[in-house]
This record gives sequence, structure tokens and C-alpha cells, in this order.
Amino acid sequence: MERLHRLYNTHVKLFAFDLLSLSQTPSHSPSDPISFSRRGTFFFRAETVGTITSRELKPNKFLKFTVDDGTGCIVCVLWLNHLVSPYFSRCSPPSVRLIAQMASHFAAEVRLGVVARVRGRITSYRGAVQITVSDVVVERDPNVETLHWLECMSLASKCYDVRPS
Amino acid sequence: MESSAIKSGALVSLQDLHQSSPFFKQGASLRVTGKLQEYSVETAIAIVVDGNAKLKINTQHLRDLSFRVGSIYQFIGELLIQPDDEAILQARVGRNVDGIDLNLYHQSLQLLRQFQADHLSTT
Repeated sequence: MERLHRLYNTHVKLFAFDLLSLSQTPSHSPSDPISFSRRGTFFFRAETVGTITSRELKPNKFLKFTVDDGTGCIVCVLWLNHLVSPYFSRCSPPSVRLIAQMASHFAAEVRLGVVARVRGRITSYRGAVQITVSDVVVERDPNVETLHWLECMSLASKCYDVRPS
Repeated sequence: MESSAIKSGALVSLQDLHQSSPFFKQGASLRVTGKLQEYSVETAIAIVVDGNAKLKINTQHLRDLSFRVGSIYQFIGELLIQPDDEAILQARVGRNVDGIDLNLYHQSLQLLRQFQADHLSTT
């Protein structure tokens, strides 16, 4: 089981078409009710790089946006409800404020047409894979996307698709 | 938070966008990259080129993007094929990509297509 979860703390670099075709199976973990896998390997977190092609803000709730990497569109959800959500009421208020500030900063960075690197947990909503965002970086180097493609292909062949012995 | 209806812009080089290309379809969502050859403020029509290939881009929906002839731009949008078979991309988003290594981009695009084809054939 441990080897199946070897990528638990890794933000895997996958193309959108790959992310969108992950197998989904119910799990017994309350924090991750659905497990995502490909070719027998489980994935928990992902990193995608692409152009922001839609943006829908629900103030104090969430920002939903799509990242188009040329192979597909991944829906990303950035939660903005930290100051009102009961989930965070048990955390220390300064920490929650800091998390809320970071989320607001990320939301401001997400603009139509920019290329962004988005990291987060792989989640599912009504059967569709999406990313619950933990951080966003707007990329200004125009070669970053090309390098991300090469990394995705290299990691697939050398790491993600390699069965641990 | 349902799956978005926004279509992905398929990565295509201008050279590959000829009339017999599978990408050359009415309404196809594409992502193209090229050097700005002409831009009309009155019509918001840009013409981008890559080698001998060129494409008209309708930029009327783009804001906060300044156009400079000679710079390289990338656009995502839908292809409109006019009755005379001339194509024009109705851009949804666009950005300046001056500094992009186009050789690396085109070579990596070939690798990506092969990777995607291999992956889809084994799943």
C-alpha cells in the first residue's frame, strides 16, 4: 500500500488531458473521499501550467477558473471563505488571516490571458476532476509552458509510469 | 462548480493550419503563435505570420493588450472560416510572448502530440 502512495506529498506534473482521465475510486479517508490513480499509481496533488481562460468570482466564497494547457481545460477552485468557514474556526486566528490574505493575493493574480502555474489537491466535483488550489504563480517567461510540457513527458516515462519494484 | 464548458485551444502551428488540416474546421478552438505583421486599430484585425504561413486574428474582445508590429503573440480562440475559405481566429485571450524560443516550442509540440497519441492508444 505504501508504494502505491509514494507520491502522496508530490505535486505531480500532468497534462490536462491526463488529469481529466484519472481513474476515480471511493476511498475510506474522510479528508480524501475519492482516490485518483493512473496505471495503478495514486495521485493526490497536481501542478498544472497554462493560460487562464475563464474566471468566476463568488466574493468571500471561492474563485473558480480554468487553466488551458493546450491538451485540455482544468477547472481550479480557490477557496476564499477562510474567515467565515467553521472548518477554520479551530485554527489560530492569525494563521487563518494569513491563509485568507494569501488566497486573496492569488485571486488577484488570476487574470484572463495570463499563464499561471497552479498547485493544489486533486479533487472531484460531480464526477469531473478539478484542482483545489493551494498556490498560484503567474509566469512571465514565455518559455515556461514549453519546459513544463517537457517535464510532464519526462516525469511520466521516468517516474509516474514506472512501477516500483 | 461543474466542469467548465470552455473549450481548450488545440496547439497548432500556423504552417499546420492549411485547408486540408484537421485543425481547419469551422468553430475549432485553437491556440496559435506568430509574429505580428499588421494591426488595424479601426478593425482590431491583426495578421500574424510564422515563416510563409499567416493568419488573421480578430482581437476585438481583447483588452489590456498592446500591439507592436514585429512582436510575437499567442492567441486562443475559435476559427471562423469565411465563404471565400479565408480563416480568421476570433481571439478570446492573447498575450505577448516576445522571447519565446519558437524552435523549442515547435519541436516540443511534436513530442507532445506523439506523447498524447501514445497515451490515448494505451488507455
